[in-house]
Amino acid sequence: MTLKHSLAGAAAALLLATGGLALAPPAGAADCPSGHFCTWENANFDGQRANWSGDDGWWESWIADEDSSWANHGVSGPGVKDHVKVFSRAHQGGHMTICLAPGQEVGYNGAANDNGDSHTWAMSC
Amino acid sequence: MLRRLAPAATAVALLLTGCTTPGPGPDAPARNSAPVTDPAEDDLLKTAQLTLVTRCLARQGLALPTRTHSTEDPRLQSALFGTGPSELSLTLPTGATVTAHTDGCLADALHTLYGDQRRWFHAQVTVNNLRALAADRMKTDPAHRAAMARWTDCAATRPRGTLPDRVPPAVADRCAVQSGLMDVRARLEPAELARVRAERRDQLTTYQQLRTRALRRASALIGAQPAITIQPKGTEGT
Repeated sequence: MTLKHSLAGAAAALLLATGGLALAPPAGAADCPSGHFCTWENANFDGQRANWSGDDGWWESWIADEDSSWANHGVSGPGVKDHVKVFSRAHQGGHMTICLAPGQEVGYNGAANDNGDSHTWAMSC
Repeated sequence: MLRRLAPAATAVALLLTGCTTPGPGPDAPARNSAPVTDPAEDDLLKTAQLTLVTRCLARQGLALPTRTHSTEDPRLQSALFGTGPSELSLTLPTGATVTAHTDGCLADALHTLYGDQRRWFHAQVTVNNLRALAADRMKTDPAHRAAMARWTDCAATRPRGTLPDRVPPAVADRCAVQSGLMDVRARLEPAELARVRAERRDQLTTYQQLRTRALRRASALIGAQPAITIQPKGTEGT
């Protein structure tokens, strides 16, 4: 889902629910299991979620290039690859679009959502 | 990744009983690329972080996930990563707004180690994404555009049955070589990286300063492990 669609959908849902209050931020840290990297099809950690404790060189089609928010809930420790690098492949021929340290989340990306195709855990960015 | 926690715990135990040496001083160079960090230093910081997080969780009667504890446990997630709206936020030039919490055991650990979690967050997010920014900037270069067009043509020829937007990794990699995209990137990246690094020099300096401070803290923490007393939550590192 594109960001535009997702925001429009979220706004519409919120209008229905509240009669028109401003978009509220998520209630807490994104709902992503400890030790996992998560990505959602919609902005603000909404919609269907994919999560991994390891690497994935080719995301499944439902989330590939549909990713709109991300969270690194990795747990650091010596020798642990706790940073996550997200790569675009289909559209850019493969470059790193973002690198997240544990606890860092991205609710949306105004320029480059729906872009991810793979990720790897790394010692650092 | 969780499976790695068991060996990690062993490594912590080993590190805790041995001596640790602090890393190089504040002048450690970081000029050529996104900072290349010393793996031994990285491990020291990660050991200290794990130690602090583990203690913080223990004070709340919680522990890091094991085979018997679900990683989905919402109490653990909140205790680790924080609650309420995220207090830290930085929008990168690439468009991504990166956020983090200032509460929770991870935030406490970072604050203790780096002294100022907010400053560290801004410096770390900026520095960690210099390479992504350089890659983004390269896309406007005419040579890159031309190579990208060749890559797109190349990737359009692929096995029947694959979806239009789904370029298999093997095809993408082959096309990156055949189109010359990989060569163009390799040629453009050093200059682009140097530019983005020059533009973010203040954040790179902050990054090095806070990391050096954290290494000192981590050494003291790990070296003086048995004597460390835990301060009440929120008063650490101030």
